[in-house]
Amino acid sequence: MVQGISRPGRVRRAVASVLAVLTSGVLLGACAQDGREEVRFTFSKREAIGFMSDLVAEYNASQSEARVVLDTSGVDVVSASFVRGNPPDIALANYNMESARFVQRGALSDLSDTEAASRIRPDLQPLMDQYGSYPGRTSALPYSVMAASVIYNEQIFAEQGIEVPRTWSDLIAACETLQAAGITPIYATFKDDWTVAQGWFDYAVGGQLDVIDFFDRLAEQGTDVGPDSAVSFEQDFTGPLEQATELAQYVNPDAASRAYGDGNLAFAQGEAAMYLQGPWAFSEIAKTSPDLALGTFPLPMTDDPDDLRVRVNVDLAAWIPVEARHPEAARDFLEYLYQPEVIEAYNASQLGFTPTTDAAPPDDPRVAGMASYYEDGLVYQGPSVLVPKTIPVNSYAQAVLLGDEPAGMLRTLDADWARLAFRQPAPVSETKEPTP
Amino acid sequence: MATQTTSPTRGTARGATRRVRTERTSWSWTVILVLCAVTVLLPLYVTVSMAFKTPEQAVDGQAFSLPSPFSVDGFVQAWNLTTFPVGAGISLLVTAGTVVATILLAAFASYAIMRNWGHRLFRYSFYYLLAAMFIPFPVVALPQIQLTGRVGLDNPFGVILLATMFQLSFSVLLFTAFLRSIPEELEESARLDGATTWQTFWRLVFPLLAPMSATVGIFAFLYAWNDFMMPSLIIADPAMQTLPVRQNLFQSQFSNNYHVAFASYLMAMAPAIVAYLFTQRWVMEGVTQGAVKG
Repeated sequence: MVQGISRPGRVRRAVASVLAVLTSGVLLGACAQDGREEVRFTFSKREAIGFMSDLVAEYNASQSEARVVLDTSGVDVVSASFVRGNPPDIALANYNMESARFVQRGALSDLSDTEAASRIRPDLQPLMDQYGSYPGRTSALPYSVMAASVIYNEQIFAEQGIEVPRTWSDLIAACETLQAAGITPIYATFKDDWTVAQGWFDYAVGGQLDVIDFFDRLAEQGTDVGPDSAVSFEQDFTGPLEQATELAQYVNPDAASRAYGDGNLAFAQGEAAMYLQGPWAFSEIAKTSPDLALGTFPLPMTDDPDDLRVRVNVDLAAWIPVEARHPEAARDFLEYLYQPEVIEAYNASQLGFTPTTDAAPPDDPRVAGMASYYEDGLVYQGPSVLVPKTIPVNSYAQAVLLGDEPAGMLRTLDADWARLAFRQPAPVSETKEPTP
Repeated sequence: MATQTTSPTRGTARGATRRVRTERTSWSWTVILVLCAVTVLLPLYVTVSMAFKTPEQAVDGQAFSLPSPFSVDGFVQAWNLTTFPVGAGISLLVTAGTVVATILLAAFASYAIMRNWGHRLFRYSFYYLLAAMFIPFPVVALPQIQLTGRVGLDNPFGVILLATMFQLSFSVLLFTAFLRSIPEELEESARLDGATTWQTFWRLVFPLLAPMSATVGIFAFLYAWNDFMMPSLIIADPAMQTLPVRQNLFQSQFSNNYHVAFASYLMAMAPAIVAYLFTQRWVMEGVTQGAVKG
């Protein structure tokens, strides 16, 4: 009988102690403060976390009002925090259709009166607005712009006496020369659909179309996108994609089974002369061949040597949510982030371009080939990222490069687009007053 | 090995012919089992060897090569990037809480339901609990994020609560099936000795449920330890995040950090493997005990 009483007692004590441990852990997490305002800063670019941690530590040491806490848990977690009503105080995040959703729904505060906003290059605004905007607000400021084009092996080009091609026929001639010499002209990684969309699809289309104009006209077309409409993917993209398939004759024979990682390795080992990838591949290539001389040039898609553009994307944009707990402290940190030496040092470390008017172009030789185009505003955002993620445009692009008929695929894309436009109208690049 | 040990105990002629057949077929089974083992061991080998490689070797495309030079850089980086001790501690807390809460609550509920099966309320509540099996977390994620946020449960404690709730239906199913096999006469004799319902449960039924509790515990452990989506959405403070969510950092489209990622996965796997090794013995004991009785 004594045992009978003691046993449940023991279990009850065990349960109670587990609960006590749990609650004390929760409480400890909540009350670890020292009187400074705690600014939650979301940043999840893996490669730059080291740089950003140092920067945050420096800022925290420089003043005693606020303490910035770096949160690297990623964009899904941020979406949940908006739902919950406790978003981060400030974020530097990739600017795409997903984060633009916060903009369109008015969840981000107006930054137009900050000092940082006044120094942003005005010609980048249309690129930001392509993802949608909120009337009367500058919801996000670009922080780092990545320019992407063709990466080439300078040594192979020099050995074969090839100049950087500026026209489509030059490019084909260069490929012929390389092939005749037994060198793979272009290394392709068709197994990873995003590499096809980012490189082959975007460079081909952006190299000869005015992307902003196309998507604006497409948005005006509304749900009426199809074989008979004035503007459609089928009409405008068929030509560029046919050229892309022509260029795909000059790739490695095993392209269909090669992924991004294989491509970086092969290109680093000098297996091909050109590689359609963005600057993020440089650090991967450098893991294998740190001293390889590489350059970049925009993919020429027409026979006009002056009609050259590079693909850009806003790799990082800064924003402060309306519901931020410490908006003033967050703004102070924002201004710190945009100080010329800080923003330029960050972009130099990531081979990115600084979006402020007074910034010097990057001096890394690997991206210098794109600097003049960026300076002159000869840039476009990849069409593949301007199509909402509900449409599997990456897979469509992959199908074309693996042998599908471009026109047929683009008809499917048109139908998808029309269906989606019926549900949610596409954003346009100019800020307009919302129609009731 | 296992098939050989069962048959020699029977000494009859029929047993002998069966033994010959068992030995012949055991070779083909061995081959199949070896193949099955390879599908597990090969990735495990790659994980271990990759974790000890240098960044250069990790991307050279030779997944099966041995690490040379041998490097622990991956472990150091993974440890620092995820603040491993904190992450593992919180994961452990969430897992332990979920396992304990699931076993207790499911056992309570099953006992109440099974012993009152004739009562409509209890029968319907069983169906109600079972119905929850068909509701996946993503479907109810949004309202739950809001709800936990409002009542101050956007922390590991809220995850324990929700994880327990999601484990409950399956665990109740297991427990009720097991409870059916426990004769009610045992409990009646305990009652004759003057035991209350509470005492009957703790002193008689719960110990008898032990093998099933081990199974339920293993399922709850694996679920809570490996779950990514729920903690990532429910826990608001990144400093209180669980290990799998912290490790999400290593999966990026543009860069491959296999050695760091695999080192981190290895460290996260270790507790799960250790726990499984221990509880597996329990389950095997429970199964054989039940078999002798039946």
